[in-house]
Amino acid sequence: MEGFLINVLNGLSWGMLLFLISMGLTTVFGVMGVLNFAHGSLFMLGAYISMQLTRWISSFWLGLIFAPIIVAILAIIIERFLLRPVYGRDVSFQLLLTFGVMLFLDDGVRLIWGPAHHLVNPPDVLSGVFPIFDQTYPVYRLFLIAMGPAIGIILWAFFSYSRYGKIIRAAAMDREMAEIIGVRAPILFTAVFAFGAWLAGLGGALAAPHQSVGPAIGEHIIIESFIVVVIGGMGSFPGAFVGALILGLLGSFGATMAPNFQMALPYILLAIVLLTRPRGIFGEES
Amino acid sequence: MKKVWSILVTLAFLAFSIGASAVMAADGPVKLGFVYIMSGPFATYGQFAKQGAELAIEEINKAGGINGKKIEAFFEDSAGKPDVGIRVIRKLVYENGVDAVIGLDSSGVASAVAPIMKELKTPLIITHAATPDVTGKNCNRYTFRISLNENQNMKMAAAIAADMKAKTWTTIGPDYSFGHQSWEYFEKYLKEKKPEMGFLPVSEVAFAPMKTTDFSAYITKVMNSKADGVLVSLWGGNLIDFVRQASDMGFFDGKREVLLTLGAATEVLYALKDKMPEGIWVGTRYWFAGNDSPENKSFVDAYKAKYDTYPSYNAHGAYAAIKAFAAAASKAKSSDKEKVVDALTGLSITLPVGKVTIRPEDHQAITDGIWGKTAADPAYPIRVLKPVKNFTGAEITPPVAETGCKME
Repeated sequence: MEGFLINVLNGLSWGMLLFLISMGLTTVFGVMGVLNFAHGSLFMLGAYISMQLTRWISSFWLGLIFAPIIVAILAIIIERFLLRPVYGRDVSFQLLLTFGVMLFLDDGVRLIWGPAHHLVNPPDVLSGVFPIFDQTYPVYRLFLIAMGPAIGIILWAFFSYSRYGKIIRAAAMDREMAEIIGVRAPILFTAVFAFGAWLAGLGGALAAPHQSVGPAIGEHIIIESFIVVVIGGMGSFPGAFVGALILGLLGSFGATMAPNFQMALPYILLAIVLLTRPRGIFGEES
Repeated sequence: MKKVWSILVTLAFLAFSIGASAVMAADGPVKLGFVYIMSGPFATYGQFAKQGAELAIEEINKAGGINGKKIEAFFEDSAGKPDVGIRVIRKLVYENGVDAVIGLDSSGVASAVAPIMKELKTPLIITHAATPDVTGKNCNRYTFRISLNENQNMKMAAAIAADMKAKTWTTIGPDYSFGHQSWEYFEKYLKEKKPEMGFLPVSEVAFAPMKTTDFSAYITKVMNSKADGVLVSLWGGNLIDFVRQASDMGFFDGKREVLLTLGAATEVLYALKDKMPEGIWVGTRYWFAGNDSPENKSFVDAYKAKYDTYPSYNAHGAYAAIKAFAAAASKAKSSDKEKVVDALTGLSITLPVGKVTIRPEDHQAITDGIWGKTAADPAYPIRVLKPVKNFTGAEITPPVAETGCKME
C-alpha cells in the first residue's frame, strides 16, 4: 500500500514537470504549427539560469521568477530574427532551424558553464521531508505536484475567459480568418513562442532543485514531452495534462512492475494511441 | 528526422575521409589520440581525462619527449555511443595517423571498439571502461587496459559486503551491460565468500536507463524490497541525481547497507560536496590521497597547481596511460605500433596509483585497489575517504583461465 502511494507521488511529480514542458510545446504547435526541437534546450537554459541567479542573489524564488522571463526574452529574439523569415517556406526549414538552435544552445551552455553538474538547493520552506508511513517524502516533490495543476488552472482560465486568451485560441483555430478580422498575427506569434519558452524555462527552474543541473538535462524530458503531446492531442491543454499524468505514472509503476519493458512502455502507448485515435486522446477528428 | 541527419553527417564524413589521404608520417611528433565522453551528462569525465592527459604530455615534452620526439595530442568525443566511438577512432588512425589510442569511458563503446583495433593494427589503452570482455572473451593483441576492471572492483565490493550486516542484496545500476555485469559479478564473488547470502532475482532489482534524471521510482522499488544491502553501480550524472534524490527520500537512513561502486569519482564528489552522505562505502579506480609515494605526490601536487582541483580516477587513467605508452616506447626505442604493443605486453611501471603490471596473457592491468568510507574533512572541499581499505592486485584479479581470453 505505501509502495503504491509513493509510486503515485513519484509518478505525479515527474508528470507535473512533463506537463509544464508539454504545455509549452503543444501551445506553440497548436497556434503556430511549429514543432520546436529547441524546446528541451530552453528547459535546460531555464535550469541553468535559475541556478546562476540562485548563486548570485541566493534566492530560489527570484530565480524562479526571473529565469523563465530571461528564457522568454531569448525566445523573442529567436522568433523575431530566425523563425519569422522561414514561416513562408517548407516546414522542413522550421524543423532544421529549431534543430540548429537546439545544437547552438546546448553547446553554448557547455561553453559558459562547462560540463560539470551543479546542485540547486530548494528554499528552506520546501527543503524538509514529509513523513509517510514509516518513510519520508521530500516536501519539494509535493510542491511540484501542487504547481502543475495550479499553473494549469491559471492558464486554462486565461485561455477561457481573457480577451488575449480568446484571440490566441481563435488564431489557433483559423489563422487566416483571425487575420481578416484584425488580429495582428506576427505579434501574436512572437507572444505565443515567448509564452511556450517561458513555460519551458519555468519547468527548468522548477526541475533544478529536483535533479542536478548538467549538460543534456533536457534530453530525456523532451522526448517524453513529444510523446505526451502526441498522445494528448496536438494543441490540446487537457490532452497535455492527461498525457503527462499517464506518462509519469507509467514511468514510476513501469520501473517497479515491468522493469524489462519500462523503456518501451511510452512507445507502446504511443503506438496504441496512434492506431486507435490518430489525433490523440483529446485531439479533434477532422 | 534524426535519420536524415545521421545520413548527412555520415556522407560528409565519408567525403572528408576519402578526400584527405592517410597521413602516416615516419618522422615528426609521436601522435596520441584520445577518445573520451566530452558531451552530455558524463562530460565531466572527459574534462578530467583531458586535463590528466595534458599534464602528462607537458611533463614528458618538457623532459625531451619520447625517444626525442614531442607528443602531439588529438582529442575526440565518443559521446558515450559505440557507433561514434568507432567512427572517431577510425578518423584518429586514418586521418590523424596516431601511434596509439587512449581513453574510453563507457563499456558499451569499449566492447564495440576493441575488435576494430585488430583491423586498425593500432594499440588501444583503455583507461576507464571496465567491461571484462575487452580483456576477456574479446581480448586481442592491440587492446590493453591500464585501469581496474569490473571483476576487480566487484571482488573488492564483495569482500566489503561479506563483513557487513546485510543478509539480502539488491542493486540499482545503469540499464546496459555495465550495470548488469556489475550485479552478476558481485553476486558471483559474494556467494563464493558467503554461500548463505541472499540476492533478489533480476526482475526485482532496479536498472535505470542512462537518460534517467528522476530516480524516485527505482529508489522506492529498492526501499520497499526486502533487501537490506544495495549495490549501486550508477556513475556520472546518474549517480549525482541518484544520491541527491535518495538522500531526500530517506534512502541513507541507516536501515540498509550501501555500496557505491564508483562513488569516489571526484567528478561526483565535487558536484555533490556536502550532499554526499557520510559513512558510505565507495569504490574507485584511483584515490588521490590513496598513497604517499613520490609519484603520487608529484602527480597530485602538479595537478592541483595546474587545475586547482584534486585529480579524479579518470584524470589519473589518462595520465597513467601516457606514462605507460612512453615507458613502452622508450623500452622499444621506437613508437612503431607493433614494437610498442610488444613492449606494453607484460610492462611493469610505477604510477601514482602504485605498481602496475600489464598481464601478458590478457593485457589487463594488475594493480592495487582501494575502497573507502565517505567522511567530512574541513581540509578538503569534498568528501574524502576515511577509513580506507586497501587490496592487493593479486587478491582481486581473477586468474587468466577465468577471463575467457585467448590471445592470438
